[in-house]
Amino acid sequence: MDAACFKECDLSPAKTRPPGLIVVFLAIGLLLSTGCSTLVSTATDRFAGALSAGILNQDDLDTVRDGMPAYLLLVDGFIIENPQNSALLLAGAELYSSYSGAFTDDPERARRLADRAREYGIRALCSESDVLCEAVDSPHEEWVAALDAADEDNLAALYGFAASWATWIELNSGDWDAIADIPKVEAAMRRVIAIDPDFRSGWPQLYLGVLTTQLPPAFGGKPEVGREFFDTALAKSKGQNLMVHVLYAQQYARLVFNQALHDQLLQDAIASDVRAEDLTLINVLAQQRARRLLSESKDFF
Amino acid sequence: MSASIRKIAIFVVLGLVIGLPSAIAQTTLKLATVAPDGTTWMREMRSAAEMVETATEGRVRIKFYPGGVMGNAPTVLRKMRIGQLHGGAFTSGELAGLYPDFFVYGIPFLFHGRDEVRFVRAELDDRLREGLKARGLTMLGIAGGGFAYLMSDSEITSGEDLINAKVWVPEGDEVSALSLELAGVSPIPLPLSDVYTGLQTGLIDTVVNTPAGAIAFQWHTKVDYLTDVPVAYVVGVLAVDNKAIDRLSESDRRMLIDIMSSALERLEEINEADNIEAKAVLSKEGITAVEPAADEMEFWHELAGKTVTELEQSGRLEFELLDDIQELLRTYRARAAVEQHQ
Repeated sequence: MDAACFKECDLSPAKTRPPGLIVVFLAIGLLLSTGCSTLVSTATDRFAGALSAGILNQDDLDTVRDGMPAYLLLVDGFIIENPQNSALLLAGAELYSSYSGAFTDDPERARRLADRAREYGIRALCSESDVLCEAVDSPHEEWVAALDAADEDNLAALYGFAASWATWIELNSGDWDAIADIPKVEAAMRRVIAIDPDFRSGWPQLYLGVLTTQLPPAFGGKPEVGREFFDTALAKSKGQNLMVHVLYAQQYARLVFNQALHDQLLQDAIASDVRAEDLTLINVLAQQRARRLLSESKDFF
Repeated sequence: MSASIRKIAIFVVLGLVIGLPSAIAQTTLKLATVAPDGTTWMREMRSAAEMVETATEGRVRIKFYPGGVMGNAPTVLRKMRIGQLHGGAFTSGELAGLYPDFFVYGIPFLFHGRDEVRFVRAELDDRLREGLKARGLTMLGIAGGGFAYLMSDSEITSGEDLINAKVWVPEGDEVSALSLELAGVSPIPLPLSDVYTGLQTGLIDTVVNTPAGAIAFQWHTKVDYLTDVPVAYVVGVLAVDNKAIDRLSESDRRMLIDIMSSALERLEEINEADNIEAKAVLSKEGITAVEPAADEMEFWHELAGKTVTELEQSGRLEFELLDDIQELLRTYRARAAVEQHQ
């Protein structure tokens, strides 16, 4: 029932923060999803929906930074009351991922919050699929085999879990346990787009762009595969998601040492209007990052 | 290391108080590395580069080209010869074309454990430094990357198992190739960049890498077993063309080398810790560690001796340190045996 609700409600997209070694994704698709949850009343639906639109379309980062902790507690409360509700668990995973990845300066605190995000993500996945649930901690090949069991009904749970996992890896990038999980997250995101290439307007492709541009060609990396994902993400987001431009520059253009492309992508992001439905906040963050990357361009190249 | 830091501190103070010759122009050293930006290696390198710039009051800047954007090691060495680059980070094997003795730490099954490596390196690192200098490169620092292990899709606990496997050997690594041939294996040479695809397509099914390297390159998703015997010791070297170094004043040169070698010492400590953690992760990821029986262990270790003998007799490459490394190992093992009996 929750899964059906997810489909109907067209969850708002996850958001990203530019990554360091691996990938940091801001996922603020939480609030509409809470609006979908079966437990909440119509009044709560309206409240959550309004709050969601408020956050996603906010252009003042400090307001979001200050306001989000209250919502973390609110979602915790809902989850305590409804421990098996996957929509709420996914909302929790996404909210905690967003906050830990983009608005938490203290690394230890960020890791603590990302732990909770991943825990909610696993619980959401487990509430929807026993096969996937049991395979999460299995060796890579078993996880890949289990992914065949995923279908449209648990697409949102798989994607939400993989997104919270990606943030968790980024925040634990000094930990080999986390680094060893990168191929599993990539496999999960590939499964998402195999089931529905249009899911979330290019967000899964953006994750894949980042995940496939971690290694230089000398180590067996294939940057051109990443480039294709970034191009697809640009097309599917109709160029409105400026974080695609920024991560394209940061991950791909830097990896292949293409300064012209790097600077062009960042200048495009800076020159674009941040206002776009459910993308305003991420676009403000993207422009902030674009300015920094552009200022480093001369030294990097 | 603390002595080095003290030295650096003294240089910094001297630099601040009395100033250094202002006639020396600013030098930017362009260094290439295959390490991707954002990795521990690059963070340490960049932070050391900042220290160098501060300590030399801006006279020495280091610009890095990370992620292999300047090409593989032979390309980087070529670009160094024509002055397009001044230096780079290399594995020991990558420098062996220039100076064959860089192969010696990587002779398969030569070392039986980390303590032996420490004992030998305490004597030979400086010799390698001198030898490299004589061949045109100044070593800014050297960092042990740990032991590489055999990793495979089926159990390898005997020479027979190895003969039946499709074993990768790094392209250009003549010593490892020779060693495998002496074991009756026909190794498959591939550049590092093609190993993952090789595992994927089944062209190869057995690789050698450090546990951390295997996870970083995602090879852990393609193998099921790790043979728990150290195969080869991996070393990373940061080296710069002598001509670029000779342009610096004596004090700037010393500050550069002290700061960068301290950074590589730190990296070696990090590498050791990483490999211990990564080995545990491999086990968690379902990769089974297997050990050869005692008589097979003898086979592996004898292989190192055979390789050394063959290298000496064939004269294919000119080595200066082979005798020394064997003598050091004999000394260490004799001492260890005595200590064990006491």
